[in-house]
Amino acid sequence: MSVKYIPVQWNPNKWWYDTIMLAGVGAFLWVFVHIVPEHVDHSRPVDRQIHLMRAFGACAFVMLSVILAIGPLARLDSRFLPLLYNRRHFGVMTLFVALSHASYVLDWYFAFSPTPRLEALLSSNTSFGQVGGFPFEIFGIVALVSLMLLAFTSHDFWMKFLSPPVWKRLHYTVYLAYVAAVAHVALGIFQDQRDHTLTVVILGSAVVVASLHVWAALNDRTSGDPAAPLATAGFVRVCAPGDIEEGRARIALLPNGDRVAVFRHEGKLSAISNACAHQNGPLGEGRIVDCLVTCPWHGFQYNVTDGRSPAPFTEKVPTYNVRIEGSSVLVDPKANPPGTPVDPVPVPKALT
Amino acid sequence: MSAAATLLAVVRIWLWIGAGVAALFLTVGIGRVDEDARGAWIFRPLLVPGILLIWPLVLWRWFVLETGQDNWMRRHTPPRVAHRAAAGFIATGIGLAIILGVAAKQDWPTDIAPVQLTDGSAS
Repeated sequence: MSVKYIPVQWNPNKWWYDTIMLAGVGAFLWVFVHIVPEHVDHSRPVDRQIHLMRAFGACAFVMLSVILAIGPLARLDSRFLPLLYNRRHFGVMTLFVALSHASYVLDWYFAFSPTPRLEALLSSNTSFGQVGGFPFEIFGIVALVSLMLLAFTSHDFWMKFLSPPVWKRLHYTVYLAYVAAVAHVALGIFQDQRDHTLTVVILGSAVVVASLHVWAALNDRTSGDPAAPLATAGFVRVCAPGDIEEGRARIALLPNGDRVAVFRHEGKLSAISNACAHQNGPLGEGRIVDCLVTCPWHGFQYNVTDGRSPAPFTEKVPTYNVRIEGSSVLVDPKANPPGTPVDPVPVPKALT
Repeated sequence: MSAAATLLAVVRIWLWIGAGVAALFLTVGIGRVDEDARGAWIFRPLLVPGILLIWPLVLWRWFVLETGQDNWMRRHTPPRVAHRAAAGFIATGIGLAIILGVAAKQDWPTDIAPVQLTDGSAS
């Protein structure tokens, strides 16, 4: 949350996150460079530059796998949510590692090319009509450009400027990047490897990532947020008042496809959009901390009665009108403009 | 000019146009469409690489925000259903890439005698 943009918003949690991430990257590269050569097939030794190129390539692939695993893991089990907190720094670091891999490729294989290096890379193999010997480098370029797109548009400004849904759609490019990276490995180093340890690890992690995403998608379909049926006078029924714990919310899918989160705070009910103004994180899966709804993804906070972040912050989300009829919590599916105050509805003691 | 050289020339033109858009947007436009950017200058160079890549999108959003056409409700409708398509895409793409990689892989015996290709084609 910020009032004025700054280059990078650091805090102690992010320092810890980045320190652990950098230590992991350093450890991976050190093991790959210093330990792995002792245990692999030496029948065809490679130059140090090629070994470093492979080290950075493998590291970038593993990092991208971890990044893509975090999302579905956090959907399936909230204990993984802390990994989501600073994922963008993870992504930017992955780009730097991937760029190191690419620079080793250009500076080794095309160092003495009579044509410019990039042109030589693009024109050295044009066997696009066959699988064996396919110019796998093209997949690496697709993955690298996709990672650039993701990293270069990761500042909070972009989310606000493009709007979270447009930004999200743009960042779905990460799936293209990953599939391209897998194809880069499968048609590249996999074709040359005789010791299959590395390729099994890399392609195995790709299968795990794909499985996690399919699992999360199926889980969302079968046990996701329930649809709110139409009740009376245009209002929809969300749940019974007693279903909502103090400081927590129930989420419902509205007829127009939006999601509403009905919170209970100090015995009163208030409804706001389930989508955080920052990255559209699921506010209803968060809880009320210090009288403020707190997004489980990045900790953005909102007053539950008006959907506004506390001053001096300026973020705001839509609110909804709520009422209790009989034993039902009803919500008007027509959202109020972001930041509109709505009086909270007390829960009768008989219904708690 | 080769296809590769043509492609790189197009990329260069794209980036030069992006540089022009970046210069204009970061000095004139950004403060007009985002109150949080007014008076904040140090972070602006960080946006240059992004503008170079997606300058048409930047121009479109700038126009939408300048003309007051931004729909506030759309900001709160995350494309969650799209994840199902993404999960299908990633599973299919990875499966296909691995199948093609395994199908194309050639494992020759290590002790095979070398053969002169011209001799092989003649026989």
